[in-house]
Parts: sequence; structure tokens; C-alpha cells
Amino acid sequence: MSSEAEGDLTRKQRREQARTERKAAEQAAAASVARRKRMTQLGGAVAVVIVAIVAILIATSGGSSKTKAPPFKNTAQEKPVTEAVAAVKEELDGIPQSGNVLGKATAPVTLAYFGDLECPICKEFTEGALPSVIKNDVRSGKLRIEYRNLETATREPETFRNQQSAALAAGKQNKGWYYIELFYHLQGAESSGYVTEKYLQGLAEATPGLNLAKWTSDRADQSFQAKLATDAQEANNAGLSGTPAFLIGKTGSATKKLEYTSLKDPSSFEEAVAKLAKA
Amino acid sequence: MSARTVRIVLIVTAVLGVGLASYLTYIHYAGIKPLCGRNGGSCEFVQTSQYSDLAGVPVALLGLIGYVLILGSLLAPDEERFRFATAALVLGGFAFSAYLTYREVFTLEAICEYCVSSAVLLTVMLPLSLWRFLRGGDTGGSAAPVAGPPADQPAALASPT
Repeated sequence: MSSEAEGDLTRKQRREQARTERKAAEQAAAASVARRKRMTQLGGAVAVVIVAIVAILIATSGGSSKTKAPPFKNTAQEKPVTEAVAAVKEELDGIPQSGNVLGKATAPVTLAYFGDLECPICKEFTEGALPSVIKNDVRSGKLRIEYRNLETATREPETFRNQQSAALAAGKQNKGWYYIELFYHLQGAESSGYVTEKYLQGLAEATPGLNLAKWTSDRADQSFQAKLATDAQEANNAGLSGTPAFLIGKTGSATKKLEYTSLKDPSSFEEAVAKLAKA
Repeated sequence: MSARTVRIVLIVTAVLGVGLASYLTYIHYAGIKPLCGRNGGSCEFVQTSQYSDLAGVPVALLGLIGYVLILGSLLAPDEERFRFATAALVLGGFAFSAYLTYREVFTLEAICEYCVSSAVLLTVMLPLSLWRFLRGGDTGGSAAPVAGPPADQPAALASPT
């Protein structure tokens, strides 16, 4: 009797044990399926994320590997830097530069362009009449343009020295005109304080082909102060007080003040160049 | 660390992320300079760089949307689909943050403390959210509020009584 009871208990226990084992196996199998499902879901998410990041990288790297994407934008003007760089490259590429002189050294006529990089009227000229003058007279070898510094619009003399020296430092690598033109193209609102160290550095980084390390060390060049003083003295001697102002003459000869009718229409400039080139 | 603790840590980091992204979104639209540490202009430089928006949408706003979605998925019932949503969103945020860090270090060569903070938050959140998702729930997908019982209690096995 007792052994029967013992046998029944063992059978019951065995049944319970088998049930428990079956349940555990089922749970393990279900967990395994769930784990595989989660890994698949996660794999899908990883793939989507990778595709999205690659797309963003391609989209934000720009089409050209030659031109490094400029690292800043001019929020004051909302003009994309890439657009300005492209315009300046199209205007200047292929034209010889030496210091802050644009054009061939053998050009028969020289135009001295007195400007302040923060001067909005200079911007008007730089984006108005100047491209045509460069295209028709500088590119053809008739004219060379020397950029001269004259403080007018910039309120702080220290800022003026700093910004003009930044352009002069680019000129030491014969990239001065890229820097000057980019400055004017991306110019912010007058007296808004947009000319920060980062702005100047951003322009340098956007300047095609500029060696940034050399530009940075060149900015401390003591001769720039003398150059700024000489330009100001020359403007004073010629009776120039505002910017932009121009002196024109045969290369190596005396210059006289160029009177213009419009800063957007290149005809005054082109006529003066043609007249001097023929003489 | 229990699943409940992990969830709480994730919620706290997501709330910090929402705060951070809200501040950056605010200064973006208000046009004011970010309060930066000793690096001075680096933050402003990065925040106004051409990489500060994506297809016209400020990165700060994208971050805010991302953190809000992550927080929403964490506050939702503790179900498989929401755990997956958290993991997927954190994964996307982490990858985007890695891309932005790459731009800071290699393209802009300037570091923004706020961006680094966000990257740190997402780096903390990534392993936690992945562990939480891969581990699965033991409650059969039922809701388990944060203040409720821990979700990692082992399921009661039938005892051989």
C-alpha cells in the first residue's frame, strides 16, 4: 500500500518535472525567437541610420572636392558662402595676382582702388562695375588694379587694421584679391560688429588655395602698419576722403583722380582705361 | 542595474537633452549668442556655421524634436514597440551626433561645448537603450509605469508542488 503510494507520488512528480521542463524549453525557444526578431529589427534600424548619415555626409560635402566647404555663413546677409566663393573664383581665376595687385605686371594702365573692407559703397562697386572691368580690361592685360586701404566706414581703428591686415596677409600668398572680394561679397550690415576673429578666419578658410598656417603667422607682419599709413597718406595727398576712390594713370607714371558717373556701370572706368591705353 | 533604473537614467538624460536642445533652439531663433566657456567664440562659430542647419532646418531644432520623441517613447508604456522606438531614436541621434562631432573636429576645427554635451548624453543613452530593448520585457508586453513594480522581475515559474 505504502509502496503503491510511493510509486504514485513518483509518477506525479515525474509528470510535474516533465511539464516544467517542457515549459522551460518552450519559453527558451520563444525567447530565442524574440531575441532573433529584436536583432533583426535593430539591424534594420542600424541600416536605415547608416544610409541616412551617408546621405547627409554626401549632401553636406558639396559637389567639388577641390573647393573646401567654407566653415561659416554670413548670417547678417544670409548669402551662402559657397555662392560667393564660386562667383569670386569665376571672376578671378586665371588672372595673375601679386600682393594686393590684380592683373599682369606688363599692363599699360594702373588703377588704384582705395577701399575700406566694411564700406558698403565699395561693395556696390565690387559687385557692380568691377566684374566687367576685370573681365574686359584686366583679363585682357590692359589694366592692373592695386587695392589700397583707406579707413572710412570702419568705426574702430583697431578693427580696420585687423581686417585690412588680414587681406594683406592673404596678399603675401598672392591670394589677396580672393580675400578682398570675398569680404565684400559677404559683407555684413555696417557697424553691426560682424567683423570678428572668426569672421576673418572664416574668410581665410573660404579663400581658395590659401595656406592657413602661413596666413595666420603673416597677419602679425609689422610692415602692414606702414603700408596702411602709406596708403592713407597717398589718399590724403590726392585729396581722397571717401571710399571707394580711384587714381588712374599709365603704369609707372603719375596718376590722377578718376571721376566716375556710376559704381554699377563700368563705362567711366572702361573709357578711362581705353583712353590711357591708347595714349 | 535593473531595467527600472535603466529607464529612469534614460528619462533623466532625455530630459537633460530636451533642456539643452531647447536652449540652443531658443538662441538660434532669438539671434543671441550662446553662453560659452573659456573657448569664447567656438560655440558661436559652430552654431552659425553652415553645418548648423540641415536642409534649412536648424540642427538644434532637430535635436529638440529627437529628444522629445525619445522622452515620449520612454514615458510610453513599457512595451516592446516603445522600447524599440527608444533604441532606434537613440541610435539615430547618436549617429547624427557623431556626424556633427566629425564636422566640428575635422571641418570646422572648433568645438562647441553644447554639442559635446549632447554627444555625451547620447553616448550614455545608446548602450542603455540597446540593452533595454535586446533584453526584452518579462511582463508579456504589459504596461509597467516608472513608479510601478520593476519590469525585470523574473517570471514566476510553476513550482512543482
